[in-house]
Amino acid sequence: MGVFKRAVEAILRPAGADARLGPAIVAVVVGGGIYGAVMGSFGGLAGDRGLQIVFSAVKVPLLLLLTTALALPSFFVINTVLGLRKDWPAALRAVLGAQGAVAVVLAALAPYTALWYASSGHYHRATAFNGVVFLVASVAAQGVLRRYYAPLVAANRRHLATARGWLVLYAFVAVQLGWVLRPFVGDPSLPPTFFRAGAWGNAYVVVAEVVWKAFGGVTSSR
Amino acid sequence: MQAFRELDRVLRGDARPGEPVPLWPLLRVNALLAASYGVCMGIYALARPDGVEWRQPLAGALKVPALFALTLLVTFPSLYVFNTLLGPRLRLGVLLRLGVAALSVLTAVLSAFGPIVAFFSVTTANYPFVVLLNVAVFALAGAFGLGFLRKLLTQLAPPRGLETQDFVVVDRPSGHAVIYGWMAVFGLVGGQMSWLLRPFIGAPELPFAWLRPRDGSFFEGVTRAVKLLLGAV
Repeated sequence: MGVFKRAVEAILRPAGADARLGPAIVAVVVGGGIYGAVMGSFGGLAGDRGLQIVFSAVKVPLLLLLTTALALPSFFVINTVLGLRKDWPAALRAVLGAQGAVAVVLAALAPYTALWYASSGHYHRATAFNGVVFLVASVAAQGVLRRYYAPLVAANRRHLATARGWLVLYAFVAVQLGWVLRPFVGDPSLPPTFFRAGAWGNAYVVVAEVVWKAFGGVTSSR
Repeated sequence: MQAFRELDRVLRGDARPGEPVPLWPLLRVNALLAASYGVCMGIYALARPDGVEWRQPLAGALKVPALFALTLLVTFPSLYVFNTLLGPRLRLGVLLRLGVAALSVLTAVLSAFGPIVAFFSVTTANYPFVVLLNVAVFALAGAFGLGFLRKLLTQLAPPRGLETQDFVVVDRPSGHAVIYGWMAVFGLVGGQMSWLLRPFIGAPELPFAWLRPRDGSFFEGVTRAVKLLLGAV
C-alpha cells in the first residue's frame, strides 16, 4: 500500500511538470483494482458472489490498460506525421499519467459506490451510478492531462489537436471495451462470470438501437 | 529494418523530395503495412455464423496492397501529365517519390488503426458498423496521406541550380488546382477500386469469395451500409 500511496502523491502532487510512468502504472493496477472490487460487490459476498469482486478488480485495470494499448499505435503515428515525434516521450508520459489519474479518482470515489450499493438494490440504477462515477473520473483526469500537456502546447500548438484527438480515440475504444468486458457490477440474478456468455456486441449499435426505438423506429440489426 | 528506418524518416518529415528517397524499401514496407491492415479487416470473418473463414484475412493481406497499387496505377499518369501542363511541373522521378512518400504516411496511419479495427471486428456482429468503421479509417488515413502530399508540394523549395527544371514552388492557383483535383480523383478511384476488389470484410450472409461479381458501386455500398445501420433497409 506504501507504493500506491507514493504513486497517488506523485500523480496528485507531481514534483516536476512531467508525468512519471511507474506511479501511473501502479495507480492503474491498484486504484483500478480497488474500484473494481467495490464495483463487483453489488451482489454481496454470500456463496460464490465474492468471485465477481475478484473478476471486477482484475477487469477495471484491464479496461484502462487495454484501451490505452489499442489506442497508442495510432496516437504514435499521428504524432509523428504531425511533426511532434521529438515530444513523444513527454506525450506518452502525459497520456499514461492521465490513466493513473483516472484510477486514483475512481479509487477515491469507491466509497460513494459502496454507499449507493448499501442504499439501493436496483441493478440498473447501480449500473447507471457506476457510469456516472466513470464519467466524473474521466472528466477529472482531463484536467491532469491538460496540466501535463501545458508545456507541450506552449511549445507547439499542434499538441492541443493531438491531445483532443487522444480523448476522442480513447473514449471511442473505451466505450466498446467496457461493453465487451461486461459484467463489472454483476447482476445478482445471474452467476458471477468473467465474460458474459454471448454478450459481445457493439455498444454503439446498442445505443443507436435504443435511441431509434425510443423514437418509434423498428430495427433488426444487432 | 532499413526500410522501416526510411519510413520513419518520411513520417517524421525529415525526408525532402529533393533527397533520394529509396523507392523499393519504402514500397516494400508500404505493402507490408497495407497487408497487416488487410488482415485486421478480414478478422471479422473469423467469427462468421457458419464457421471460421481463414481465407478472408489472407485475401485482405493480398487485396489492400493491391488496392493501393492499382489506385496509383490509375491516377498517377494523369497526375504527372497535369502536373507538367499546369504546375508544379515536377520531374517524373520526383513526383513518384513524393507519391510514394504520401502513400507511406497513408499506410502507416492505416496500419496504426489496425488494432482498433481488429478489436471492433472481433467484438461486433453488426456488419454495416464494421464496414463504416473501415471506411472512416480509410478516409482518415487518406486525409493524412494527401495532407502530407499537399504540404510537401506547396512548401517545396527549389534547390539551387534546379529552379526551372525540376522544381517550381506551387504559388499559382492552377498548381493548387492540380493537387486538390488529384486528391479528389485519388479518393474517388480508391473508393471504387475497393468496391471492385471486395469483399475485404465478408458479409456474413454471403459465402466467402475472393472477388464478387461486377455490380453496384462503392457509393451505393456505403449508402446501403448507412441505411442498414439505421435500420432503414
